[in-house]
Amino acid sequence: MRLSRSLPARWPRPGRLAIQFGLAFAIAMIAIGLIGFSLADHWVSSRIDQSLTYHTAKYLAKVAGDPADEPGLEAAIHEWQHRKVLSERTYMLFDRDGRRLAGRLDITPPAAGFSDVRFTAGGRHYEIGRALATRLRSGGLFVIVQHSEAAEGLHALLPMVVLTISLVALVLGVSATFLFARLTARRLGETQNTAAAIAAGDLSRRIPTERLDGMFAVQAESLNQMLDHMAELVRAQQLFSSNLAHDLRTPLTRLRSLLERASRDDQAGFASLLDRAERECSSIIGIFDALLRLAEIETGQHPTAMASVPLRPLVEDIADTMEPVMTDRGGTLGVRRLDDVTVIGDPDLINQLLINLLENVATHTPPGTNVTLALERGEGRAMITIRDNGPGLEAGDRMRVMQPFERGSAVMSREGSGLGLAIASAIARFHRGSLELVDAAPGLEVRICLPANDGQDAAGIAGLAQAS
Amino acid sequence: MHLLIVEDDQVIADHIVSGLNRAGHSTTLARTGAEAIRAWAGQPHHAVVLDRMLPDIDGMSVIDHMRRHGDDIPVLMLSALGSVKNRIEGLQAGADDYLAKPFSVDELAARLHAIARRNMPRPGKAGIEIGALQLDASSHCATYHGRSTVLNRKQYSLLAHLMGHADRVVTKTMLLEAVWSYSFSTATNIVESNMSRLRTALQDIGCDPIETQRGAGYILRADRCA
Repeated sequence: MRLSRSLPARWPRPGRLAIQFGLAFAIAMIAIGLIGFSLADHWVSSRIDQSLTYHTAKYLAKVAGDPADEPGLEAAIHEWQHRKVLSERTYMLFDRDGRRLAGRLDITPPAAGFSDVRFTAGGRHYEIGRALATRLRSGGLFVIVQHSEAAEGLHALLPMVVLTISLVALVLGVSATFLFARLTARRLGETQNTAAAIAAGDLSRRIPTERLDGMFAVQAESLNQMLDHMAELVRAQQLFSSNLAHDLRTPLTRLRSLLERASRDDQAGFASLLDRAERECSSIIGIFDALLRLAEIETGQHPTAMASVPLRPLVEDIADTMEPVMTDRGGTLGVRRLDDVTVIGDPDLINQLLINLLENVATHTPPGTNVTLALERGEGRAMITIRDNGPGLEAGDRMRVMQPFERGSAVMSREGSGLGLAIASAIARFHRGSLELVDAAPGLEVRICLPANDGQDAAGIAGLAQAS
Repeated sequence: MHLLIVEDDQVIADHIVSGLNRAGHSTTLARTGAEAIRAWAGQPHHAVVLDRMLPDIDGMSVIDHMRRHGDDIPVLMLSALGSVKNRIEGLQAGADDYLAKPFSVDELAARLHAIARRNMPRPGKAGIEIGALQLDASSHCATYHGRSTVLNRKQYSLLAHLMGHADRVVTKTMLLEAVWSYSFSTATNIVESNMSRLRTALQDIGCDPIETQRGAGYILRADRCA
C-alpha cells in the first residue's frame, strides 16, 4: 500500500533531527577542544612564570646584603655562562643607564616585572621570550629571560588541533547519528510493517516485541493494546451488524410471505393480510428508530436539555402511565417507596430509560407478572429499582442481554427492537450512572444508580454538559 | 383545505396527494424548491407539506423565504432525518410540525388539521368545557351533568388534549408527543391502555365522547358531550 511504499524501512533518510544532532555534537567537541587548549596554555605559562620567580630569587639571594650587588651578579652570570652551554633560560644585567653589563641577549632593558621580549637568535628571525626584570638596590636591572619551545609549539599547534578534532568529531557525530537512525528505523520497521499489514486488512497482526527493548518495547506494547481494543470494537461492530441483519430478516421474511399470500389469495383475506404487513413494516421501522436513538445517545448527538430533575414526580408519572399497561396484561404495577431526590439529567432520556425497562417486563415476561417500582435516596446517589416476579434471567444471560439485539435464552418472542436494554444502559452511562441486572429470586431486578444532585446545580450541570 | 405539497420523490408524492385527496383536501404538487415558491406565490393555500431535502434548495430555505415575506402559513416538514436534533432544527427553522419518514397518510392528515386550525379552545387556568363536559384544571375532576370523577394526571392530560382538539383526529404519536412529551417510540400499548382507562372513567359518569378511528387515532366528538 501507499504507506509502505512512501516509508521504506531499510534505508531511512537521516532527516532533520539526525543532521541537527550531528551538528550539535561537532559544536560540543570544538568547544571542549578550545577549553582544553586554553587550560593547557594557561598551565604552561604559569609554570614559566613560577620558574622565573624561583631563579630570580635564587640569584638575588647570592648578593643579599651586599651594597655593591651589581658586580656580584655580573660575576655570577659570567660564571653561569661559562658553566652552561645549552639552556632555555638566560641571565642579563643592565646598569642604571640601561647599558648591558652581562648576558648575551641583545635586547633593550624591559620594564620591571613580567613581560614578553623579542630577541634575535643569530640575527635571522625574531623570537619571543618571557622576561622577569627586577630593579636592584644599586639601580641596576637584573633580567631573566626564558624561551620555551614547548609553549611556542603548543600555540602553533592549537588551530590545527582544534580543526582536526572538530572534523573528527563531526564525522563521528554524524556517523553515530546515522547509526542511531538506522537502529531506530530497524526497530520501527516492525511497527511500520504491522501498520501496513493492518491497513491492508489484517487486523490480527501485532508488533513483535521479542527483539525490542526499552522505550521501543513499551511503545510497541501500548500500540498492541490499542490494536487489541480496536479489534474488539470492530468485532463488536461486526456482531452488531450481523445481529441487525438477522433481526431485520425476520420481519422482512414475514412481510414477503404475507405479500406472496396476498397475491395468491382472493380478496376476502386482503384486509387482514395488509394489516399484518403493516405491522411488520412498523416493526422494521421500530428497529431503525431504536438504532438511530442508540447512536444518538452513544455519540452524544442527542440535544440534551440538562436540568435539575426531581425524580419523584417523574417516577410517579411513569407509574401512572405504565400501570394500565401492566393491568391490561393481567399483572400489577406497585410503587414500594418514593424518596425525594434530584439528579442532573435529561428528563426525556430518563423517561425513556424507565419506559424501556418496564416495557421489557411487559413484553418479555408471561402475562400476570407483577412489577414493583422504588426510588431510594442513597449516599450521593439516587437508586431506582424495577423488580418483577417473572421467570428471571440465567446468570449468563444477565450480562448478554445488555448487548444490542441479545435476548434472554428463554425468551421466545422477538417482540420489540431488541435494543431496549442497550438504550437504557447507554442512557444510564450518559448520566454517569450505572444499570445492573440482579437475580430477585424469583424474577429479575434492575437497579439504576444515578449521581444525586445535592445543591451543586450549576457545577453539576456544567460538568455533565461538558461531558456530553 | 387546499394544500401545497412539496416533495421530489414520485412515489411518496403520489401517496401523499392521493391520500389527502381521499381525505377531502385539494392539493398543488411542487417537485422543487423553486416550483414550491412559484406555487406559493401563485395562489393561497391553507397549509404546506414540505420535504426537507429537495433537489435544488433545501426545505429550510423555502420556509425562510415564506416567513421573510411575512406569511405565517402553517408548514409541516417531512424528512428522512428523524432524530430529535433534526426535529428541533426543523421547528427552529419555522416549521409548525415535523414528521419523519416513513409515515402514514392518516398521521399526516391529522397533523395538518392540528396545525391548520391553531385557534381552538385550549385548557385555561380554570379548565376547559365542551357542551356539558367540564374538566377542572386544579382538581383534575371531570364533570358531566352533575356527576363527576377524579382523573389521574395522565388521564387528565389526555382528556384536556382531546377536548382541545375536539372533532379532529389525534394520532397515538401526537398524544405521546403532546401528553407524555416522549420523543421516542414505545413498544407497548401505552396510549391504548391509558385511553381505555379514561373512557371507562368517563362512561362511569355517563359520558362517552371518544371514538377510536381504526389505524388512525382518536377523536373526541363535541356533539356527544351535549
